Amino acid sequence: MRYLRLIGSFVRASTQNELAYRANFWISLLYALLNLGTGVLGVVVLFSQVETVRGWDLPATLALLGVYLIIGALRNLFIGPSLNALAGLDGEIWAGKFDFTLLRPVDTQFLASLRYWRPLALVDLVLGLGVLGAAVIRLEQSLTLPRLVAFLVAMGAGVTILYAILLAFTALFLWSPGFLFTWAFDAVFQMARYPVGLYPGWLRLVLTWVIPVGVMTTVPAQALAGGLSAGTLIGSVALAVGLLFGASALFRLGLRRYTSASS
Amino acid sequence: MNQRGGWALIKSTWLSWMQHRSFFFLLAFMWMIPPLIYLFVWSTAAGGKTIGGFSRGEFVAYYLVLILVNQLTYSQTNWTVGDVIRSGQMNTLLLRPMLPLYDTLASEVAGKVVFMAFMIPVTAALALVLRPEMHVTLRNGLAFVPALGLAWALRFFWGYWLALLAFWATRADALLGLQDSLVFLLAGQVAPTALLPGLMREAATVLPFRYMLGFPVEVLTGQLNTVELWTGFTFQAGWLFVALLLFVTMWRTGVKRYSAVGG
Repeated sequence: MRYLRLIGSFVRASTQNELAYRANFWISLLYALLNLGTGVLGVVVLFSQVETVRGWDLPATLALLGVYLIIGALRNLFIGPSLNALAGLDGEIWAGKFDFTLLRPVDTQFLASLRYWRPLALVDLVLGLGVLGAAVIRLEQSLTLPRLVAFLVAMGAGVTILYAILLAFTALFLWSPGFLFTWAFDAVFQMARYPVGLYPGWLRLVLTWVIPVGVMTTVPAQALAGGLSAGTLIGSVALAVGLLFGASALFRLGLRRYTSASS
Repeated sequence: MNQRGGWALIKSTWLSWMQHRSFFFLLAFMWMIPPLIYLFVWSTAAGGKTIGGFSRGEFVAYYLVLILVNQLTYSQTNWTVGDVIRSGQMNTLLLRPMLPLYDTLASEVAGKVVFMAFMIPVTAALALVLRPEMHVTLRNGLAFVPALGLAWALRFFWGYWLALLAFWATRADALLGLQDSLVFLLAGQVAPTALLPGLMREAATVLPFRYMLGFPVEVLTGQLNTVELWTGFTFQAGWLFVALLLFVTMWRTGVKRYSAVGG
C-alpha cells in the first residue's frame, strides 16, 4: 500500500516536472510520429516486394511492430528514465549522487526502478496500440479469448525480460562505470522490430538466449498471429522469472561494491 | 586560416577522441545496427531467389558498402554545433582567429578516423561470414570516389545549416531527428532506392537525401547506367550548391543575432 502511494507521488512529481517544458510535448510528438512512420514504412516497403518471409506476412509483421512500439513506450514511461538517472551519461553512480538515493528509507531497487516517469511516452503507447489494433483487424485468425490471454501473458513476460535486462546492465555499471551498457542494449533492442525468424541462425540464437530481445516481441506477436506453442509461452515466462531474480541478485551484489564517487 | 593552426586542431581533437574510443566505438556500433537489420531482413527475404534484380549476396554487398558509407558521411558534429550555440560555448570559438567551421571540420576528421578504426574490421568480419557478391568495374570504382566526397559534403553542410537554426530556436535539434528519419527512408537504408514503391522512389530521386548516402553505394555496386550516373551527379552537385548557399546565409545572419547565453 505504501509502495503504491509512493508510485503515485513519483508519477505526480514527474508529471509536474515535465509540464514545465511545454515545447517538449511537440518534440515528443514529432519523434513518436517519426518512429511510427519509419517503422510502418519499413514493413510496408518490404512487403511491397514479397508476400511472406519465413511465414510472416504483412499483418503479422505489423502486429509485431505494434508490440515493439508498445514495449518501447512502456520502457520510456518509467523503466528507462529511472534507470537512466542512475547509470546513464552523468548518472547518479557516475556523479556520486547515488549516496542520497541509498539513504532513503525504502527498498533501493524499488526506488531505482520506479522513481522517474515520463508521461509523454503515453503518446508512443497510444500509437503502438493503434498499430497493433490495425494489424489485428487484418490478421487471418480472429482474436479469441485464449489467444488474447496468451498474448497478455507473453507481453507481461516481454516487459519483465526488458526490465530484468536493463536492471542487470545498470548493475554492471557499478563494476564498469563509464561504459554505457544501456546504449549498447538500445542498439540491439532495435532488432526486435522484426521477427527473430528473419535473422540468420547464429543471430537468432543470440537474440533468443544471450540477449533475449527477440523473445520480447516475437512471442506476443505469435500469440496473436498463430503459431505459438504452449512450450514457447511457458519457456518465455520461465525465462522472465529467471532473469528477474538473476538481475535483482546482480543489482544487490553491485550495490555492495558502490563506494561513492570521491577519490 | 593558417595551416599549422588547423593541423594542430585536428591532431588535438583526434588525440582527445582516441582517449574516449570505447565511447565512440559504442556510437559506431549503434549507427551500424539499423542498416544491419535491413541487410538481414532483405537477404533472408531473397533466400535463393532474386527480389527486384537483387540476389541474396547482392543485398549483403549493398548493405555492407552502405554501412561504411553511412559512417563516412554521417556528421555527428551536426548535433554538437547546436549544443555549442545553446550553451554559449560558441563565444570561445568565435574569439579564435578562424571560423568555427574549422573546429567542426577538425572533429569530423578526428571522428572519421576513430570510427573507421572500428568499422573496417567489423565490416570485414561480417563480409567473411555473410559472403557478399560484388563486381566492381573500373568505371564504377572511379565514379565512387567523387560521389562519396560529394555525399559527405552534402550531408555535412545540409546538417550544418539545420543545426545553425539553433541561433533562432533552442529546440532546433528536433529537425535533425527529422533529417535522420528522411535519410533512413529515402536514402537507401530501408531498401535500395530501386526497390522503393512508386511515390517514395520518385521522392528519393528528387530530394537531397539519396545523394547523401544511397547514391555512392548504388554507384559502387553497379546499379546505375551512364545516364543515371550523370543525372545523379547533377542532382548531387545541385543540392550541394543549395546546401552551401543556405549554410553561408544562415551563418552570416545567425552570428549577428548571437548574444551568448542569458543576454
